[in-house]
Amino acid sequence: MTGPAPRLDAVDVGYTYPGDTPTQALESVNLTVQDSEFVALLGPVGCGKTTLLRILAGFLRPTKGAVRCDGAEVDGPSPQRGYVLQEDAIFPWMTVRENVEFGLLARGMPPAARVEVSSELIRLIGLSRFADAHPKELSAGMAKMVEVARVLAIDPAILLLDEPFGALDAQTRARMQDELARLWERRRKTVLFVTHDAEEALYLADRIVVLSSRPGRVEADIPVELPRPRSLESRFSPAFSALKRRIWETLS
Amino acid sequence: MERLKSQRLMLGLASLGAMVLSYTLLSHSHLLRPEIVPPAREIAVAFSELVVGTRPPPPMEGDVHAGHQMHSSDHVGTLLQQGVTLQGSLAITAARVLFGLAAGVPLGILLGLLMGFSRRADDYLHPIYVLLRSVPPLALITYVMLWLGHSEAHRLIPIVYAVAATMVIPAYHGARDVLGTYVLAARSLGARRWLLIRKVLVPAAGPTVLAGLRYAVAIAWMTAVGSEMLMSENGMGNLIVGGGLWASRTQTKADPAVVIVGIVALATAGWAMDALAKAGTARLTRWVR
Amino acid sequence: MLPRNKKNNFFSGPGIRTRTARGLLSLGALAIVYGVAAEIGRGRLPDRIWLGTHYVENVQLLPPYGSLAEEAVFLLQSGILLSSIAVSAGRVLLGFMLGAAFGILLGIATGRATRAEYLADPWVTFFRFTPALALLPLYVLWFGYGEGTKILLVASSVAVVTLLGAHQGVRSVPRVYLDAASALGAGPGLAFRKIVLPAALPHIFASLRIGLGLAWVTIVVAELIDARMPSLGYLLTLAGGYPRVSTMVVGIATIGALVLAFDLFALSVHARATRWMRRTG
Repeated sequence: MTGPAPRLDAVDVGYTYPGDTPTQALESVNLTVQDSEFVALLGPVGCGKTTLLRILAGFLRPTKGAVRCDGAEVDGPSPQRGYVLQEDAIFPWMTVRENVEFGLLARGMPPAARVEVSSELIRLIGLSRFADAHPKELSAGMAKMVEVARVLAIDPAILLLDEPFGALDAQTRARMQDELARLWERRRKTVLFVTHDAEEALYLADRIVVLSSRPGRVEADIPVELPRPRSLESRFSPAFSALKRRIWETLS
Repeated sequence: MERLKSQRLMLGLASLGAMVLSYTLLSHSHLLRPEIVPPAREIAVAFSELVVGTRPPPPMEGDVHAGHQMHSSDHVGTLLQQGVTLQGSLAITAARVLFGLAAGVPLGILLGLLMGFSRRADDYLHPIYVLLRSVPPLALITYVMLWLGHSEAHRLIPIVYAVAATMVIPAYHGARDVLGTYVLAARSLGARRWLLIRKVLVPAAGPTVLAGLRYAVAIAWMTAVGSEMLMSENGMGNLIVGGGLWASRTQTKADPAVVIVGIVALATAGWAMDALAKAGTARLTRWVR
Repeated sequence: MLPRNKKNNFFSGPGIRTRTARGLLSLGALAIVYGVAAEIGRGRLPDRIWLGTHYVENVQLLPPYGSLAEEAVFLLQSGILLSSIAVSAGRVLLGFMLGAAFGILLGIATGRATRAEYLADPWVTFFRFTPALALLPLYVLWFGYGEGTKILLVASSVAVVTLLGAHQGVRSVPRVYLDAASALGAGPGLAFRKIVLPAALPHIFASLRIGLGLAWVTIVVAELIDARMPSLGYLLTLAGGYPRVSTMVVGIATIGALVLAFDLFALSVHARATRWMRRTG
C-alpha cells in the first residue's frame, strides 16, 4: 500500500449501546476519508450516523473494529478533529465572542490575537451585532452557527459536523451551505458531514456515503462528480437530479 | 466503573473506621474530660439503659467500677424516672412528624397548586404567603403557647406550618411549568375541568412536588425536634436536652453519651423515612423522561 | 382557569399594575382583619394565662395596633431592638458564611473526585439526616453557652445544605458542554474553571438561598433555648415577670422582615449571577 495514510479510516466498525436492552447501532462499517475530501454521511433517522461520528471524534470506543486518524489509533477527542454536535452545546454563560474564542483560550493565545480571529469569524457568520450577547438572545440556528465558528477558530485539519444546519430555515440554510462550501474552497479541510437531507449532501460533498437504517451498514458509496465551485445553478442541473434520484432509490 | 463501585464500599468503611478509631483514642487518652468525650462503653451503656428502660442495680461497696458509673448521669436517671425509653421517644417524635406531614403536605400542595394554576389567586395570595413563610415556625411557638397552653396542638402547629410552607413552592412551580401544550392538547380532545386536573395537570406537576416532599420530611424532623427541645416533656428533642420543662433548660446538665445516642437514633430514623420517601417517589415517577 | 406559560402570550391576561394592586389589596385586607380582631378581642379575650407553673396577668392576646406601635417605639428608642437585630443578624451572617464556605468547598471537592465523595459519604449522610438543632446540646457540652456555639450551630445547618447543592451542581453539568470543551482542546483545569463552575452556579446559589433561610430558623431556636439579651430570640420569650405580647409580636414581625429582606437579597444576587440563563418552561 502506497500513498499517505487516509485522514480518517474506519475498519469494520461496530457499536452496540450497553444497557438493559442492548441496541446495535452500527454493524461492520468501513469508511475512508482522504485528505481534503468533503464526504457526506447520509441516512434515515436512527441509522447510527451520529454514533459513527462520535466514534470518529473519539468520544466512543467502537465495540468492534478500529478507527484511525492519520494512521494513528483514535484515542479520545482532540482539537485536530473539530466536532460540532447535534445537540445544543453553546456555552450559555459566555457571550458569543467568548464562545468563539474558547478554543483559542485553551491554546493559550493572548487576548488581542483572540479578538482578531473571533471578530473575523463572527463577521463571517453574520452575527457581528450579537458579538457580546449571551446565547439566550439567539435563535437555535444562530447558536448553532456560533458553534461552527467556535470550531473553525481553532482551524482543525478535520471537521466533523453533525447536522449543523438542521434547525435553520431554508434560506439561512442555503446561505450557510454556501459559506461552508466557500470556506472549504479556500482552506480545503477534510470534512465529514452528517445529514439526512439528500440535496444538502449533493450540494456540498465530493462523495456521499449512504448508511442503512439500524443497525447501520454502508449501503452505497456514491461519488459526486458535479463541477466545483458549486452554485445555485448546480442545484438545477440534470446531473444533480440524476444523482438525487439514485440516492432516493438507494434509501428506499 | 466497577472498580470504583467496590472502592466506594471500601473507602466508606475506611472513613467510618478512621472516625471510630480516632474517637476511641481521643476518649481514652484523657486529653479531654470524659464529660465531653465519653468512651464508647459509656455510650453503649447509655444506649442499653435507655432501650431497656431501667438501669441495673448499683454496684456493691468496694466495687472498683463504682466510681466510674457514678458520673453517668442524672440525665439518664431523670429520663428513666419519667419512664422514658429510646424507642418510645423515637416513636413519639416520629408520630409528630407524620402528623405534621399528613396535615401540612395536602395544605401546602393545595395552596401551591391554586396559586400556580390561577393567576388571580396567585396575585392575591402570593404576598401573604411570602410574609407567612418568612417567619420561622418555631418563632411562633411561644406566642401559640399563650393561646393553647402546653398542649399537643401547641407543639404540632409549628410542624404543620413548616411542612405546609415548604410544600407550597414545589407545587407552585410544578403547576406553573406544566407545558401549556399538554393542556391545549387535552382540551382539544374534549377534556373538561376535573378530568383535566386529575389526568393531566396533577401528574404533570407530580415529579416536582414529590421531590419537594423529601425536603419537607427533613424540615418536619427538624421542626419536631426543635419543638420538643423547647416545649415538650417527651419525644427525642426532650430526651437529648435532658428532660424537664422549658423554663429550666439551662440548668439541666446533659450527658454527652445520651446526646450522642439520641443524635444517632434521630439520624437513623430520618434516613429511614427519607429512604421510604425516595422509593415512593421513584415508583410514582417512572414515566419521567 | 387557564395555563400560564411564558410562551402562551395569548393568555397573558391582566398587566403588572392590576397584579400589584391585587397583592396590596390582600395585604391591606389582612391588616384590617387583624385590627378588627384585636378590637373585638379587647374586652373578650382572657387576660390571665396559665403557664404550666404559674399564672400571668394582664396579657393582651391580640394586641391592638396602638399597643404594638407603642411597644415598637419603646424598643427602638431604648436601643433594644437595634442591638437585638445587630446581634442576631450578625450571628446569622457569620454562621452562614462559615457554613457556606465549608459546604461549597467540600461539595465541589466531592463532586469532582469520586474518591473524595466515597470518603465523605458516611459523614455527609449522617449529618444530612441529623436535624441540626439536635447538635445544640452537644455543642453546648463541648463549648458551653456562648457565641461560638450559636454560630457553629448555624454553620452546621448551612454547611449540609450548601454541600449538597455544590455537589449536585458539579455533578449535573450536562455532558454536552464537557464534550464540546474537550473537543476544543480544553484541559481539565480550564474545563473546571470555565465550564463546570459556571454551569454549577445556579444549583449553588439555590442552595445558598435555602441555607440562609435555614440559618434564621436555627438561630431563632438557639436563642430561644439560651435566651439572653440582646437577641431577637429573647424578645420572643416569656422570660421575666410579665410576658409582654406586644414585645413578642414586634419580635416576630422583625424576624419575619429580616428573613424576607435577606431572602430578597439572596434572590437578587442569584438572578444577577445567572443572568445568562434561559428561562425554561
